[in-house]
Amino acid sequence: MNQVVVCDEVTYQYRDGAPGLQRVSLAIEPGEFVVVAGASGSGKSTLCRLLNGLIPHLHGGNLTGRILIEGRDTRLTPPYVLSRSVGLALQNPEAQSLATTVARDLALGPACQGLDRATIAARVREVAALLEIEPLLDRQLVTLSGGELQRVAIGGVLALHPKVLALDEPFAFLDAAGAVRLRETLRLLHQRGVAIIVTEHRLAEVVDLATRMIVLHEGQIVADGAPRAVLARDVSQWGLEAPPLVRLARAAGIDATPLTLDEALEVVSLNGDAPLSPPDDIPATSPVISWEDVSLARDHRTVLRQARLSAAAGEVIGVLGANGAGKTTLLKLGNGLLRPQRGAVRIQGQAIGRRPLWEIARSVGLVGQHPGHMLFAPTVQDELEAGPRALQRLDRAWISHIIDQCRLEPLLRRSPHRLSAGEQRRVAIGAVLASQPSVLLLDEPTAGQDALSRYALRTLLTDIARDGVAVIFATHDTEWAYALCTRWAILNAGMIVASGTPAAICAQPAIIEQARLRLPAEEAIRRQRERHAVDRV
Amino acid sequence: MNIELRFDPRAKALAYLIGSAAIILTLDLIRLAVLSGVLAALLIGSGLGRRWLRVMRVLLPTLLLFALVAGWSGGYEAAIGAALRLAALVGAGVVFFGLTPPEELGDALLASGIPSQMAFLLEGALRFTPMMGTLAREVYEAQASRGIRFDGRHLLRNGPLLLTPLLLSVVRFADELAEGLETRGFGSPQRTPLREHRLNWRDGALVGVTLLLTILFVW
Repeated sequence: MNQVVVCDEVTYQYRDGAPGLQRVSLAIEPGEFVVVAGASGSGKSTLCRLLNGLIPHLHGGNLTGRILIEGRDTRLTPPYVLSRSVGLALQNPEAQSLATTVARDLALGPACQGLDRATIAARVREVAALLEIEPLLDRQLVTLSGGELQRVAIGGVLALHPKVLALDEPFAFLDAAGAVRLRETLRLLHQRGVAIIVTEHRLAEVVDLATRMIVLHEGQIVADGAPRAVLARDVSQWGLEAPPLVRLARAAGIDATPLTLDEALEVVSLNGDAPLSPPDDIPATSPVISWEDVSLARDHRTVLRQARLSAAAGEVIGVLGANGAGKTTLLKLGNGLLRPQRGAVRIQGQAIGRRPLWEIARSVGLVGQHPGHMLFAPTVQDELEAGPRALQRLDRAWISHIIDQCRLEPLLRRSPHRLSAGEQRRVAIGAVLASQPSVLLLDEPTAGQDALSRYALRTLLTDIARDGVAVIFATHDTEWAYALCTRWAILNAGMIVASGTPAAICAQPAIIEQARLRLPAEEAIRRQRERHAVDRV
Repeated sequence: MNIELRFDPRAKALAYLIGSAAIILTLDLIRLAVLSGVLAALLIGSGLGRRWLRVMRVLLPTLLLFALVAGWSGGYEAAIGAALRLAALVGAGVVFFGLTPPEELGDALLASGIPSQMAFLLEGALRFTPMMGTLAREVYEAQASRGIRFDGRHLLRNGPLLLTPLLLSVVRFADELAEGLETRGFGSPQRTPLREHRLNWRDGALVGVTLLLTILFVW
């Protein structure tokens, strides 16, 4: 038998009764590169956990059907044996940081296999060379960036020499440079014959590398084939968003499914000019919030250096930059969680100085990367009222408006902790807006969100800005930010190196390169065509 | 070779326990001050002074309360003794944990024949405690950003609000950690210690000297 993975009529229900998968049958051969797509809750992560025995051995639940990994039934084989065949890199690389240093972390898997020390050392060297992480070997894991941690987590499972490498949303928290590097690693592993399975919401990151695409919808396989063939269908019926190049081609009425920039250019040149329209710029009036030459150093490292940014009511500003550029720090300075060592942050013209956080919270709301951290009430309704109560500005009419705006009506009596990630984020935004701030700050609002949630969030933020709130968010998602923002501010090594309309920023290749950004598809096509035109002249 | 690797973690653990007993049992104030001086030299020599200061800054209210209660019943000498003892115990902990990487301790326990899971339990407790601190800070920041106050008397009323998201985050993290461990084959009955640990004369000397000092101070 040639297949490394065989799922035969697999149905799974979680311990709490939540449905996981329904009658899933598939087979994966060595050397395949499979991208598994689907909306949140469609069963992608469940499938990954079934392949290496985490389900049912760790999670329990009700599993019927049969899963064979290299001929071994996962129900009868413990996960530590299956880990030699299927390496699984989970969504949160921090929870896979199991040792203090990188070298020790890479060594843990082989050590658990009972290999001798010389072989363990050889595996560590081999994986470090493959992933180009030799300089990190002696580093403490807590000092690594998100992208570096991701590579170490992948290295940790590769050190087990698995035949199949499964990655659950590996691109969610990576900047453009990290994403390029991960793509290169996956390409290399694929060339070496490792079967690769990637679950991902941002299909553009990986679909051109894949040989096969599987779409899961409500726990069932609804499409399975070559990526181009699957994407030629209307994937929105399954809550998916086609990659931007495919969407652009469709919007231009072009009957093609380009997966790479070169393919897109080819079809565009065959079909004339595609409609390309950057969003309008809203001129800045008097700012509601401003960072004035703000500097901050932490642990002997300069995080922000004379950063200068201001936002007017109704503006939507995307703060973009590589991992570690200082985006989160800028936001935390905006609501007083951090105080600048030099310069000043002003809210409606007044420096926040040493004003207490609760006072600043009346004007500035912040939704962090993990909205679950700010939710504590028994129901969504209570959650919405908690902030205004604390600030003694409870206004039920305003809260009703927020419930409508954030579409929270069906969730009001539910526990915020039992909601999906997208719903939790909407509740968190609603809970912050309930206190009637004039500035809303968001940190990586689209990380890990599926297409429907990203679309809903875009609509919501547009509505909020229309109400006169200044919206400022940090993101790596240039595609999403391009469609939404009136302005981009580019952070590089703690400095705001550029600010302007997304189109104006995209027209500056030096800035894009310096900040290691990925151009939105529309702009990438535009720039590439301009280059070609210049070449022809 | 630095002090981290010069001694076997088991010897360091034993010396730490004996040293802690010495701090608790030394009643004479002058001897306690000398003992604290030895610890201070160790802290400075090993570059862990700043870490001790950071911990002490957090513990300062507890330390003052401790001294106040002791002083109330036993006078100023008892108050000074109580404060010094607590500071010295923290110092001993900082020296031990600062010079003993959790995996070293885990490896040494494995080498002693302790089951892999049991060794990781201790190793994990040391390794992930700082991470829990980070999680607690993130939850606090998220709540404070909404205008929930935790200063002064507000801490009593609003403090419990931190518990729900913190507990849920810890449980979620523990679940993810369990998955992370399983994906690395942690359930395997055999795990190779990454370093060979053999007790030698240096380890004996470390325990012996600590024991001797303890007897001298306590006597």
